[in-house]
Amino acid sequence: MTAVQAPAAARPTPVKRGPLRATARLLRLELRRNAMLWMLPVAIGLFWFTAYRKAVAIPPLWNLRAASMQIGALLAFVCPVVGAAAWMGSRESRRHTTDLVTITARPRWVRQLATWAATTCWATVGYLGCVAALYGVTAQQAAWGGPLWWPAAVAAASLPALSALGFAAGTLIPSRFTPPVATVAAFFVLALSTQLIVGSQSYWQISPVVTGPWDMTPDAGVGTFYPYLPDLPIAQVMFLTGLTIAVLGAVALPGGSGGGWLRRPAAAVTMAGLVAAGTAVALAGTGTMDAHGMIAIPALHDAANDRPLRYTPVCSHTAIPVCLNPAYASYLPTAATALAPVLSEVAGLPGAPVRISQAAATYRQGIGNSVGIGLPGPPISGTPPVFRLLLPSQLPGPTMTTSELAAAVRSSAGFALVASVIGDNAGATRAQQAVTAALSMSAGLPQSSPAAPTRQRPNATVPLPAPVQSAARRFAALPASARHSWLMQHLAALRAGRIALAQLP
Amino acid sequence: MNVEITGLARRFGRTMAVAGVDLQAGPGVFGLLGPNGAGKTSLLRMMATAIRPTSGTLRLLGRDPGSYGPRREIRRRLGYLPQNLGYYPGFSVAEFVEYFALLKEVPAAQVPAVVTVAIDRVELGGEAKTKLRTLSGGMLRRVGVAQAIVNEPELLLLDEPTAGLDPEQRVAFRALLRDLGLRATVVVSTHLVEDVGAACTQVALMDRGKIVFHGTPNDLTARGEGYGTGDAPLERGYSAVLAEARS
Repeated sequence: MTAVQAPAAARPTPVKRGPLRATARLLRLELRRNAMLWMLPVAIGLFWFTAYRKAVAIPPLWNLRAASMQIGALLAFVCPVVGAAAWMGSRESRRHTTDLVTITARPRWVRQLATWAATTCWATVGYLGCVAALYGVTAQQAAWGGPLWWPAAVAAASLPALSALGFAAGTLIPSRFTPPVATVAAFFVLALSTQLIVGSQSYWQISPVVTGPWDMTPDAGVGTFYPYLPDLPIAQVMFLTGLTIAVLGAVALPGGSGGGWLRRPAAAVTMAGLVAAGTAVALAGTGTMDAHGMIAIPALHDAANDRPLRYTPVCSHTAIPVCLNPAYASYLPTAATALAPVLSEVAGLPGAPVRISQAAATYRQGIGNSVGIGLPGPPISGTPPVFRLLLPSQLPGPTMTTSELAAAVRSSAGFALVASVIGDNAGATRAQQAVTAALSMSAGLPQSSPAAPTRQRPNATVPLPAPVQSAARRFAALPASARHSWLMQHLAALRAGRIALAQLP
Repeated sequence: MNVEITGLARRFGRTMAVAGVDLQAGPGVFGLLGPNGAGKTSLLRMMATAIRPTSGTLRLLGRDPGSYGPRREIRRRLGYLPQNLGYYPGFSVAEFVEYFALLKEVPAAQVPAVVTVAIDRVELGGEAKTKLRTLSGGMLRRVGVAQAIVNEPELLLLDEPTAGLDPEQRVAFRALLRDLGLRATVVVSTHLVEDVGAACTQVALMDRGKIVFHGTPNDLTARGEGYGTGDAPLERGYSAVLAEARS
C-alpha cells in the first residue's frame, strides 16, 4: 500500500438531498447480487413444468388459462421466492457482517427494505415473464375475449407477501437452516390452506390459490357469459398487500432498526397492514357462490357485473343453426356435426326450435362442498322456440377429446332435443316414448344416456317396455320422409297425449 | 477530544469484558495493546456503537452515542474494521466498498469518487472488479480497511488491521495509518507491538478489562528497561507492564 502517495478523498459533504439516488444505487447493488436472480431459472423451470404445460393443454379459454395460471404460478414461485428471501434475510448473520453494517448511519430497516425489494423485483420480473408467455400463447389461440388480469394480479400480489415472509424468517432466525425450513413450511401452508374450506362463506377462501368456489375444478363456463367477478381477487389482493405491509413493518420493530422516530411509524404501518389483512379475511368469509359460479362478496360486489356479457354468437349452417358463444367457436364443428342427424329429424316440425343456442349454466351451492350445475327451466323456451344448449365442456370436469365431446353432445343434448320436441318428459305417454326412441335410433343416438347434464333428460336411462321398443323400431324403419310427414300431421296430437301406441305407423 | 471514556464497563453474562476504562484520545494514531481476552475488542465495539456499555459514559466526536440522533451522526463519521471481517463473496471489491459508502450515507453523487480513492489507498485499484471470494486473506483485510475509510472518518477503529498482511503490506499500512492520523483519531487494537512503535503517537495497554498503562510508545519502552522478557525494547516494556499489573 502506498498510502502517502494516494490522495485522500475530501471528506464527503453531508447533504440532505439525494436520498432517492442513494436508495436507487443501493437497490441496484442488491439487484446485481441477489440470490433470487439465481433462483429465477428454477422458478421459471417449475412454472414451465407444472403450470405452463398444464395450462396450454387445456382449451384456450381465458378463464381456464387464467385460473390455471394463478394456481400454477403460485405453487411454482413459492419455494424459490421464500427460500431466496430467507437466504437474503439471514445474509448479515451468515456472513458475519452484523457489526459492520450495524455501525453504519443508514437505518437497518432501509437496508433491509432494499434487500427485500431486490428479491421481490426479480421474482416479479420472472413471474411477469411467465404470465406474458402464457397469455401471449393464449392470445394467439383464443377465439374470443381478452386476458383476465385479476388472477394475474392476485399471483403478483402474492410475491411481495411471500418474499416478506421469507425475508422476515431469515432476519428473525438467521440460520442456514432457515431458508429450507421456511420454504417447505410456506409450500405446505399454501398448498394446504384450502383444505379447511367447506362450502361458501369460508374465511379460508382468502388463500391466493383459491380462484373460485373451491369445490369446483376450473370451470370453462365461469366468466364467459358473465363478467369475471373481481370480488374475491380484490379481497385477496387486499389481504396480501396488508400482510406484506404488516410483515415489513414488523421487521422494523426490534431495537436497532432505527430510533423511536422510525419504530413508531413502523408500528403504525404494521397495525395498518394487520387491519387491512384482517378486513380482507373477514370479507372473504362473507363470500358466497353466485348463480354464475363465481364468489360474490356483498361488500365488494358491483351489480354491473351481474349483467351478461354481450357477444355475437357463431352459428353453424345445419338444418337448425347451432349457435355458440364465440369463445367456444372451436367447438362448433364438433357440436354441429354431432347434432346434425338429430336436427335433420326435427327440423321443420311444429314446436321444433328455430335455433340451438348455447346457454350459461347456473350454479347452486349444495350441502358441504357439493355444487348443483344445470339449466333452469325447460330446454326449449321462447317465441320462436330456442333450444338452450349446455356444452359438456363448459361444465367442470376433465378436458374432453373431440370424439368424447361429440358423443357427450349427442347423448345429452341430442336426447334432450328430441324429447323436448316430442314432449317426452316425466309424464310422457308410451307413444311419445316410442317416437322419441325411434327418432333417436334414426339419428344414431345411443340407446341409453349416462352423460351429463342429466337434468335435460332425467329418464334417459330407464329401459323402455317391450311394446314401446317394438313400436319404436317399426317407426324408425320408415323412410325419413314418411316419418317426417307423419310427424308434421300428428305431432300436436302426439304432444297432447292423444295418440296411442297402436296408432303409430 | 474525539474519544472521551469514563468508567466504561461491559459485561457478557458472568464475564466482565471491560471493567471500568477511562480514556481520552484526540487526533492521531492511538494504539490499544493487550493479550488475548484483555477486552480490546469489546472496548472497540462499544466505541464503534456496535454494542452498548453496561455502565460508564462514552462520548464520541463530542456526542453521546446513547441517543439515536447523535449516534447516527457519529456513525456517519465513523470507520470500523472488525477483528473478523465478514463479507459478501459475490460482491466485487468496488461493490463492497460502494455498499458501505451508501450505508454510511455518503452523498450518492460522491460515492463513485470516494470508492475509487478508498480502493486506491489500499492498493486494490487493479482488483476493483474482482469478486471477494477470489481474494487472499491479506487482500480481504485491505478491502476491510477500504470500506472503513471510504467515508473519510473522523474516528477510525481498527481491530487487528495487520493480521494476515505480509511484511511489505504491513509497512505500507503503517504509512497509511500515519496519514489517516493526521486528520482523524485512529484507534488500532493489536498485539503486534511493532505496529504500535511504528505508527502510534499514544498507546494504552489493557489487561483483564482494565487499562494498565497509558502513554507514548517511548514511555512504554522506558518501562521495559532492565526487564528481561522480550526481543525488542517495546516488547520488554509491554511485558514489564503486564507483569507489574499482574503481580
